[in-house]
Amino acid sequence: MYSRLNRFAEILATLLALAGGAVLLGIIVLTCVSIIGRAFVPLNIGLGPIRGIYDMTEIGMAAAIFAFLPWTHLREAHARVDLFQQVMPGAMDRLLDLLFNIGMFAIAVVGTHRLYLGMLDKHSYNETTLIAQIPVWQGYAASLVGGIGFVLIAAFCILRSVRRMAGWPDEVPT
Amino acid sequence: MSNIELALWSFPVLLLFVFLRMPIALAMIGVGVGGTWLVIGNPMMTLNQIKTLTYGTFSNYSFSIIPLFLLMGQFATLSGMSAALFRAAESFLGHRKGGVAMSAVGACAGFGAICGSSLATAATMGQVALPELRRYGYPGSLSTGALAAGGTLGILIPPSVILVIYAILAEQNIEKLFVAALIPGILAAIGYMIAISVWVRVSPNSAAVRDRQPWSERLVALGKVWPVLTIFIVVVGGIYAGIFTPTEAAAVGAAGTGIAALAAGEMNWSRLKQSVLSTASATGMIFLIILGAGIYNNFLSLTQLPQTASVWIGDQGFSPWLILTVVLIMYLLFGCVMDSLSMILLTVPIIFPIMSVLDFGMSANDFGLWFGILVLIVVEVGLITPPVGMNLFIINSMAKDTPIGQTYKGALPFVLTDMIRVVILASFPAITLWLVWVIDAL
Repeated sequence: MYSRLNRFAEILATLLALAGGAVLLGIIVLTCVSIIGRAFVPLNIGLGPIRGIYDMTEIGMAAAIFAFLPWTHLREAHARVDLFQQVMPGAMDRLLDLLFNIGMFAIAVVGTHRLYLGMLDKHSYNETTLIAQIPVWQGYAASLVGGIGFVLIAAFCILRSVRRMAGWPDEVPT
Repeated sequence: MSNIELALWSFPVLLLFVFLRMPIALAMIGVGVGGTWLVIGNPMMTLNQIKTLTYGTFSNYSFSIIPLFLLMGQFATLSGMSAALFRAAESFLGHRKGGVAMSAVGACAGFGAICGSSLATAATMGQVALPELRRYGYPGSLSTGALAAGGTLGILIPPSVILVIYAILAEQNIEKLFVAALIPGILAAIGYMIAISVWVRVSPNSAAVRDRQPWSERLVALGKVWPVLTIFIVVVGGIYAGIFTPTEAAAVGAAGTGIAALAAGEMNWSRLKQSVLSTASATGMIFLIILGAGIYNNFLSLTQLPQTASVWIGDQGFSPWLILTVVLIMYLLFGCVMDSLSMILLTVPIIFPIMSVLDFGMSANDFGLWFGILVLIVVEVGLITPPVGMNLFIINSMAKDTPIGQTYKGALPFVLTDMIRVVILASFPAITLWLVWVIDAL
């Protein structure tokens, strides 16, 4: 059961991170195209920058960063101070780790739920971005994908910490 | 408990959590939410803020420069430019005493011009330069110390991820900060080379020298680093000339280093995937801390601590220079145990408002640039000081036969030059600001 969950978590986090990366690469390409287009403006041959590229960058970036969070969390890439790890008893370290994972899960749940409520707000106000007039709720919706992934991965990480406390080794997913 | 007392108590609580290995982002979010709850008496305000705060932070146009620079750094490590830079530097410096180590430092400086991350610079140049240093008989301590120190040029020489974060937090101009960082960055490289040259003279026979290269070969080697030069000029020059926004420049830089990696034949699907995944974990880590810093700082401003503290310090009549010294020493001490990014995110929102009311006899804009560069340098020293010096760890892990104690020892002369440079730059702000003034006057 655990190894299946482990594989599922690995695949989910990887796919989300890669999807976010694809969005990032897309933003890079669009930005370059837009800059080249802007260079043609003085020639007046109908070429110009992409309209609303800033809005698209903002929406894409938010969705990408939300999609990166599960991967960061699963890989335990958080910045932390390891100075006292050597002197801390291993059991205490693992107990604290479990508590921190529960804390992170709480943040993921509350944050994603609030993001959802924020989306409903933006939807009911019909708020749009400044230039491209893209409805803002769509950006929230795209971000929710990563947010929900973060909740699932954070739940899995609690389970992983519990197993570590019991002294079972991590499994490397195949 | 008054609000100010609450804010003051939040520091030790935060530090306690952080030293218990709590992820720094989690500690800042927890203390920020908890503190706000205590001040207002209910969590509703924070809960309402979070509806838009996460999306607002992650979609911030200025912040989007960070993942782009991170990806650019990943691509730069694949571009083969590290080897070309090292060979070019070697052809110019290799025949001097300690020349191969100096070349490693010079190549790090060049690599720093397309990579905004210290760790990536140290790791990439380490792969190229360590075998070469060993071949010429350099002791492990000097080799690893020089490369760890050279790595810090990655964040000193623009583009620099840490400088971008400082710029956003202190509301400074990114373009001007990049210009201001240039001369201090070059001074750093020169300082490191002087340290190497003193080292090989104090302990002679510690390294062999290469044959002197003719100018024809030097120019050929230099010609091979043109992509670095082009990307640097387009990115930093383009930002300053106002051709594109910093975010656009970062996108262009990422595209440029990506193309360089493709051209070098080093890019394939699995490496692209690795670059994206590394960027993803670093981006997620940074943005969670940015979010945490935002929540924590909202709490602090709610208690009016920054304003109260700056008024209090102003009333005490301390010398501004004394306060600056204390602040810089505090950064040095914290740098020994904390990573640079968390330190900047945690301290700048509190320290900067306090410092900016002090009178150093310069305009507010100049102060913001000068102080930023000083903070950047002292924070970067933390990467090469024990016990927690990430650059030392990464280089030491690549030099299998060098004990970590030797690496610590090898880093000491470089830390010393860092200290001297901080004193010089603090005493003569014009060194940092001169180039900004020149370009502004154009």
